[in-house]
Amino acid sequence: MTLVRWNPARELATMEVDRLQQMFGDWLGGTATARTWTPAVDIFENDSREYVIKAELPELKREDIQISVENNVLTLKGERTAEFNTAGDGYHRIERQYGSFSRAFVLPNTVDTNAISAAYKDGVLTLRIPQREDAKPRQIQVQE
Amino acid sequence: MTSQWDLMRELATMQDRMNRLWGTMHDRGEDVTARGGWQPPVDIFETEDKEVVLKAELPGLAREDIDLTVENNTLTVRAERRRDDGVAAERYHRTERIFGTCSRSFTLPNTVDASRVKAEYRDGVLSIRLPVRDEAKPRQIHVDVAG
Repeated sequence: MTLVRWNPARELATMEVDRLQQMFGDWLGGTATARTWTPAVDIFENDSREYVIKAELPELKREDIQISVENNVLTLKGERTAEFNTAGDGYHRIERQYGSFSRAFVLPNTVDTNAISAAYKDGVLTLRIPQREDAKPRQIQVQE
Repeated sequence: MTSQWDLMRELATMQDRMNRLWGTMHDRGEDVTARGGWQPPVDIFETEDKEVVLKAELPGLAREDIDLTVENNTLTVRAERRRDDGVAAERYHRTERIFGTCSRSFTLPNTVDASRVKAEYRDGVLSIRLPVRDEAKPRQIHVDVAG
């Protein structure tokens, strides 16, 4: 048996709740009619050992973005409506997506969910999720 | 009779053709994704004050990285988006956002006044407002009927 270094972040990437939701959604045929979209998301670790989630949410009002953490699941939710009548004839091209979105990510238990910060700039939502102090790498001295 | 709607449809089809043209040029040579090519989604609609509005989603860009030109009735939006500097590739756990350069061109109908184009970048969306020429606005023509 080979020992594989446990990477909590990998868990974050693979255990994305969305996929499960999509799977179940398709299965139950529930979400097919609702107008939904999926914002593009990048996740990386920065030099301060924070997980950074960047989500593309162009033209959303800050009050229309909901961020919640429950049982180590971080959920981003929101809604966007077109400023023109999408059912009428006042438009010539619609490529942008409107309606509601929801994305959820399982956080590794090394993070401090109380210290998550969020900023919205130029249509990008940036979430900073710091790791807990006791989860940071530390040196252990060998006693005599 | 040519209605405004038809002209607009022309704008849309011309743009498709342009993109296809660019698409085939890309196909001939190299892989578009390898070059980092992306296509921002665009909405085009008309407002009540007779303006044609083009909105392109370009989140996370600096204003100086957006280049907008009007030449021979062709509106071209070029943009370059760079990834956060200093983050090594192995530090990424998920990369769904697309970076690199993009370019989209739109042929303007001659009903719009290209000299009065206004552009604004806010909350990751580039809004281009093209006022419709006064003489192109719908107007009533009175016919005097004798007798």
